Amino acid sequence: MDGLVRRRAESRAAVRRAEDLGLRVEYLGFMLAGEKYGVRIALVAEILKPPPLTEVPRAPRYVKGIVSVRGRLVTVIDLRRRFRLKESPADTRTRILLVDRDDEQIGLWVDEVLQVYRLADSEIEPPQVLGGDQPAYVLGIGRPENELLLLLDLRAVLES
Amino acid sequence: MAEHTGGGGGGGRESIDKAREEFFSEAQELVDGFGRDLLAIDELAKSGRNDPELVNDVFRAVHTLKGLSGLFGATLMTGLSHELEDVLDDLRLGRLDMTTGVVDLLFRSAELYGQILAAERGDRSMPEAEMKALLLALGQVTQRSGAGGASPVAQYELDPGLLGVLTEYEEHRLRTNIQAGVSLFRLHVTFALSTIDTALDELKAKARPLGEIITYLPTGSVGEGDVIDLEILMASHADGTVLQEALGAPHIRIEEVKRRIGMENPAMSLNSPPTMAKDFPLPVVWGEQGHSSHSSTPPPQAATGREQIIRTPPPPAIDKRDMSLRSVSQTVRVDIRKLDNLMNIVGELAIVRTAIARLSERAGHRPGAKDFSSELHRLHRSFERHLATMQSGILEVRMVPLGQAFDKLARIVRQISREHEKEVHLVITGAETEIDKLIVEELSDPLMHMIRNAIDHGIETRDERKNVGKPAVGTIALNAFQKGNQVVIEVEDDGRGMDPQRLIQTAVRRGLLTAEQANEITPREVLSLVFIPGFSTKEEANEVSGRGVGMDVVKTNIAKLGGVVDISSEVGIGTKMTVTLPITLAIISVLSVEIGGRAFAIPLASVEEAIVFNERDVRVIENREVMTQRGQTLPLCRLSRLFEIDTPEASVERASDGRKKFVVIASVGSRRLGFVVERLVGQQDIVIKALGKSLANVRGFAGATELGDQRVGLVLDVAALLEEVLVGDKDRVVIDVAGRTRESPEGRGDGRARTASR
Amino acid sequence: MRKVLVVDDSASTRALVRAILEDASFSEAVGGCDVIEATSGFDAMRLLPRGPYDLIITDINMADINGLELIKFVRGSEHHKKTPLVIISTLAAKNDVGRGLALGANSYLTKPFTPEELCATCTKLFDGAA
Repeated sequence: MDGLVRRRAESRAAVRRAEDLGLRVEYLGFMLAGEKYGVRIALVAEILKPPPLTEVPRAPRYVKGIVSVRGRLVTVIDLRRRFRLKESPADTRTRILLVDRDDEQIGLWVDEVLQVYRLADSEIEPPQVLGGDQPAYVLGIGRPENELLLLLDLRAVLES
Repeated sequence: MAEHTGGGGGGGRESIDKAREEFFSEAQELVDGFGRDLLAIDELAKSGRNDPELVNDVFRAVHTLKGLSGLFGATLMTGLSHELEDVLDDLRLGRLDMTTGVVDLLFRSAELYGQILAAERGDRSMPEAEMKALLLALGQVTQRSGAGGASPVAQYELDPGLLGVLTEYEEHRLRTNIQAGVSLFRLHVTFALSTIDTALDELKAKARPLGEIITYLPTGSVGEGDVIDLEILMASHADGTVLQEALGAPHIRIEEVKRRIGMENPAMSLNSPPTMAKDFPLPVVWGEQGHSSHSSTPPPQAATGREQIIRTPPPPAIDKRDMSLRSVSQTVRVDIRKLDNLMNIVGELAIVRTAIARLSERAGHRPGAKDFSSELHRLHRSFERHLATMQSGILEVRMVPLGQAFDKLARIVRQISREHEKEVHLVITGAETEIDKLIVEELSDPLMHMIRNAIDHGIETRDERKNVGKPAVGTIALNAFQKGNQVVIEVEDDGRGMDPQRLIQTAVRRGLLTAEQANEITPREVLSLVFIPGFSTKEEANEVSGRGVGMDVVKTNIAKLGGVVDISSEVGIGTKMTVTLPITLAIISVLSVEIGGRAFAIPLASVEEAIVFNERDVRVIENREVMTQRGQTLPLCRLSRLFEIDTPEASVERASDGRKKFVVIASVGSRRLGFVVERLVGQQDIVIKALGKSLANVRGFAGATELGDQRVGLVLDVAALLEEVLVGDKDRVVIDVAGRTRESPEGRGDGRARTASR
Repeated sequence: MRKVLVVDDSASTRALVRAILEDASFSEAVGGCDVIEATSGFDAMRLLPRGPYDLIITDINMADINGLELIKFVRGSEHHKKTPLVIISTLAAKNDVGRGLALGANSYLTKPFTPEELCATCTKLFDGAA
């Protein structure tokens, strides 16, 4: 029991230290029609290779279909369609990001998963720097050394 | 959850949530029980009787609700319970009479509890206004009764030794009984600890008609063989002999507690030394020794002595430690999601089973593996059998009697008919018909609206009824029965019926029907006008059936459960609404079919048969493809067109691989439709899973299922599709209603006619 | 590891007490906490021989034998007469608390109680017993 108590106390302390630093947030980077995007990694439950997908007649256009993940049905959203980008067929790099929305999981169909970026506040710019009206789902622009990452607000993405 | 339960960190959240779930189900059970007791109280009150035990039960329930709601921060519920407790206390003590006004308030309270619970779950907003109104009314009742005078309890003194182990409530009951001049008895019983709960339940059932049990006092410690001696303090109007006979069992010894001061004076003192075990004077003893002095009616079993008392508790075979752990309660409460989970596992096992069957078949083709194959085949058969048993076992657990929903309705009928000054008699048959728990939950609201409608629009006023020679009291019959894989519920009234002319006039006035269409409408179609949103036969939405909910919502809600509503009505005789529902939502047998190479499943419960499709049998009538099947006109629906699935040769009768197409004839209620599909794959049992929220607005699918190899197939919502194709959505209703039965000028079709597109 | 017997005919109250006592923040502070639930006075009597317990928490208003009678039974038994005992009661029933304490209960809580109150009471009694 004592060992357990100590271990828990230590891990709590570690979390607290991380929170004190508190300035860097982790984003998962992925590709979509040649552009780099990022979502907060805390919201991504799992990354899947696409299982057989079943299209749903009469579904909204941005719904790619449904898949079964360990017996559970997951609705997959095609982000290219959602963002009105040019469509392209799936290849070996295609992945589905499982993200939590309220009490269900949603799949996001992306071209390729890149890496995890740890971004400090200073590395994130407001969407306005791109000029014009940016869609509500763009949270900001991440600028990890020489790269450009469109950071997505998942809630806004999933709201149709 | 209230702020005070938010404390602590780590893994507590989940268990707090679990506690909260427990709270919901426990509170719901208490509220349901409250409602049932009220119905019984009301029944008694009608004939001027009263059962204090029932009132006590209600009091206890409210008392418990108060405590629980306080713990879980449901403040509205605490407030209501607090106020109700006062009223019920007055009722128990006879300071307040059980008038119809009071019973009404209690019914309203039960209703409000339900609403508060729903609000706590987040299903609706807090019923603040109703709460305010009800609290005011309850407050007035208690205030009025306040003049009833203080109870004279203070003049009696009870022995501190006895008081020491009585709760306030028990003490209160004791005093009340003493004041009422009821005799007190001590029952000495001996039970095995392991079976005491059932034994006591039996005893309580026997004792209930004779009086009230005040308390149970264990005496001494648990003795040999886990036997425990118990003293039960009971108040009863009956005399000792009667009690002995009624309670019967030889191992019960009954003593009357003698009144100290004057037998005829109900005032008594229990002033006596420390514990009650020794200190109640025992003038007369029935049972073990007592029977000889009452030779007139000697209870035959009572002749045995005390040795017998110890010997009666039977089960000696069970290990002692085992007994002490055994819970006597035979029921457990299970979260339905856990059952869903089990059902999912059954679904997965079914896929494994199919794989084994394939394996055995493959092995059969190999020369050296014949024995292996037949072994595997036997194994597969056994697996299949056990799996089927397991599946039906889990399904059985999900089944509950419809009576659960009907209880609530009985309460509502009473309430509405009172509000409406129409007398209505509710006759229920088939309350024992079982249906999936989830369906029952969703059924209350639609049924309630149907009944509201029947009372409001169907049943006439007393005078009207008398004038046409009907009995003054109207009747609503609620009949339930099973029919194959479906459950049918009928709501039938003996009211004025629906007048087709008035329905048409209203529909025309509301712009739901043109004058021309009105001329061509068939009698059957007239009745279904009430399902169109915005239709109501009364000018003003009134208190009863108004509330912004119409029959269209009823129909939608029933459809969500995979069911349909049909109406038949005769002017002057009455109206019957028939709801047809699947028995369970969890697991269904389906016919798998292919359309454009994609797999779909059609619930077998609504499939009549599948026949080979011949393009030349197709006729087009009023833009609809139909065929004649056994002399009946069968409307057709090409699913590939409805779902806009590209099939290279959609209009020829052979599928792209050269095989024949099929027509799957589906029916729900009285509606029939033929679905044209490309291939019949086979029949299988599947676990149906709901589509995600992003697909909530997609019509025509009841869900999806895994068909093996990780492939997902969509399950057709046959009721919704029949509805959509045959009746159309609301802007199509008018057109469809107009002239479905007339032949189109083109006569026979070429297969290119449009089906249900708008 | 502390072993606590919770006697209440309300499943949600039992679950709540369990949630609070088995929650890491409290459990770790007292070296682990194991909550055993009894659904009635008789059930408690069946579970008593499975002791010893570090603490018994009991409701007062229960069907069949009430909490007071259970306290009397516990205090009268050879093995449990010294086990710390806490009453849970509603605010309204002040006399119940008085009677319980007179019968040998060590402390009481009134509904609604906060997790902090429950934890504080239990800690105090664990310490007293140690």
